[in-house]
Amino acid sequence: MPTIAITGLRTFLGRRLAERLATEAGLRLVGLDRLRPHGLAAGVRFREIDLTRPDAGSALADVFHKEDVDVVVHLAFRREPTPDLDGDHELETIGSLHLLHACAGAGVPRLVLGSTTMVYGPHPDNPNFLSEEHPLRGHPHAHCVQNRVETERLVTDWAARHPGTSVTVLRPCWIVGPTYRDAVTRYFGRQVVPTLMGYDPLLQFVHEEDCLDAFARAATGHHPGVYNVVAPGVLPLSTVLRTAGKRPLPVPPPILYRLRAYPSQAQTGDRPEGFYDYLRYLWVADGRRGWEAFGRPLYTTREAWMAAISAARMRSYR
Amino acid sequence: MSETKPDPAGEGGELWSGALAGLRSELRRRLSAAPGADAGAEGDAEAEGIDWLALAEDLRRRLGQLGMRERSGEVDDFGLDPEMLRSARPLFRLLRRRWWRIEVVGLEHVPAEQPVMFVANHSGLLPWDGLALAETIEEAHGAARRPRFLIADWLITLPFVQPALARLGGVRACRENAERLLATGRSVIAFPEGVKGAAKTFRDRYRLQRFGRGGAVRLALAAGVPIVPVAIVGAEETHPILFKLATPARLLGLPFLPVTPTFPWLGPLGALPLPSKWVISFGEPLAASASPGAAQADDDLLVARLTEDLRTEVQRLVREALAIRKGVFA
Repeated sequence: MPTIAITGLRTFLGRRLAERLATEAGLRLVGLDRLRPHGLAAGVRFREIDLTRPDAGSALADVFHKEDVDVVVHLAFRREPTPDLDGDHELETIGSLHLLHACAGAGVPRLVLGSTTMVYGPHPDNPNFLSEEHPLRGHPHAHCVQNRVETERLVTDWAARHPGTSVTVLRPCWIVGPTYRDAVTRYFGRQVVPTLMGYDPLLQFVHEEDCLDAFARAATGHHPGVYNVVAPGVLPLSTVLRTAGKRPLPVPPPILYRLRAYPSQAQTGDRPEGFYDYLRYLWVADGRRGWEAFGRPLYTTREAWMAAISAARMRSYR
Repeated sequence: MSETKPDPAGEGGELWSGALAGLRSELRRRLSAAPGADAGAEGDAEAEGIDWLALAEDLRRRLGQLGMRERSGEVDDFGLDPEMLRSARPLFRLLRRRWWRIEVVGLEHVPAEQPVMFVANHSGLLPWDGLALAETIEEAHGAARRPRFLIADWLITLPFVQPALARLGGVRACRENAERLLATGRSVIAFPEGVKGAAKTFRDRYRLQRFGRGGAVRLALAAGVPIVPVAIVGAEETHPILFKLATPARLLGLPFLPVTPTFPWLGPLGALPLPSKWVISFGEPLAASASPGAAQADDDLLVARLTEDLRTEVQRLVREALAIRKGVFA
């Protein structure tokens, strides 16, 4: 029975994945994070690790050795950007570097990295469907995306130097669902949603359960390579807002991009472009490779979005 | 890939689609009342007793909701919105039949089997030529065979233009998109001249520019689809470019800033095409695509030769079509 270690146990994906694999698949699970999460399922062993500490690498290698870890699922990333740009960089990029050192030291046979399709970046010259081979251009004003791009580069270089470890990179697009919350769902959760006047890009979502399925299959099976984790189908931004009953507030981009003191923007520490460009240009990913490897998602983009907004509506009746 | 499910937030949409349906049926009645004659249209419509007040009210409501919000519903994987196409069809039909009086020649050359690569000369600032060609083929072969037209990069960055073109079947011109379209059995309209064709001045009208780098031919060979050369005459005169401004274009970050008889002077109205007389002429499918294969697509010399053949053929078709046309606005 393989042992699976999950970093970022307190993130949505980390926690849910750990509990699912421990209770449903009955695997040995080691959860790593800075603090113990409340009410953690009994099957998950918790080990305290702070990836931002300089000695995190050796501490991690110790854990991997002692627990005899076969698979590491790296999910210790911010759910959304914080104003602490340096802190985010320390955790996401340098933390990943520590983890890679530990994996090499402990000779971990398999590594699964959780990334995002946001690493392709919103660019007017993107093809309508981005394949996994497309260059990772990110966005210069989205610091957490840039951290992921850097992490992916580190992992790619590292994987080339360590052929003994099979590396799987999963890139989910924006996750929606009944329980998932982040800056994106908060943006869509407003009653009046600022949009860019004259732009109506196609968006793509993946349901939280489908995303977890893909991660669970990547952790338990052998799937080296890079995979987009997306749902089939696309929705224009206008339709996304209309189906949710939201009122779009079209703002000309130059004006919106000057609203730097805008509260939700101040929370991310980025210029508005870092988020709103993702609502301006196309960055839809091609999911065919992932569907072949991990099975077709249960929810299409539209169904995933419907599931998310109907849950949000039910919540408002509480 | 497009799903068909009822719209749950339908209360607002109900009203709107009702108004649209009314407007559409009015227009349809008006158009079918006088299929040929221009002058008869008004008289016939009046004789039928159309409720012009209701029509005006519908129009007013429609203009009031011109935002992006109500226009797109279900779209396919490339962003084409069949609902929006349906509602825009009367306008396109008006443009094609009355405004441009498009004459179609050689439609029998369009092969019966599905994906086809149409290669046409490009002209006019806005891709009216692609739109008109797609509509023409759809009218002849049905909605399932409507080809997607490839649009140049600079249009993709334009607000309002880009979403509208995407809903009407425009796709950014790049290898990945064309490959995917052909692989999923959808025909493609390519304009290998690209922005050089759209941005040439009126002096150079109907003189074909370089055909890109042979990408269209290479793709068609690799996918094993026939190439149909098409000449579109008339689109040059929709937005005749008198000259181009260099410095303001650089300041605005545009590849070029054209000056047409209408464009900067009339503001947004300058986007309206002039009523030139059009001829769309289809040539015979290129014979070389009979034995397809990836090996051929990798043969650079063959691709270059076929591209040049294709350019010559399109140029010949353009000259023929020009001869058919009696005058620019005749």
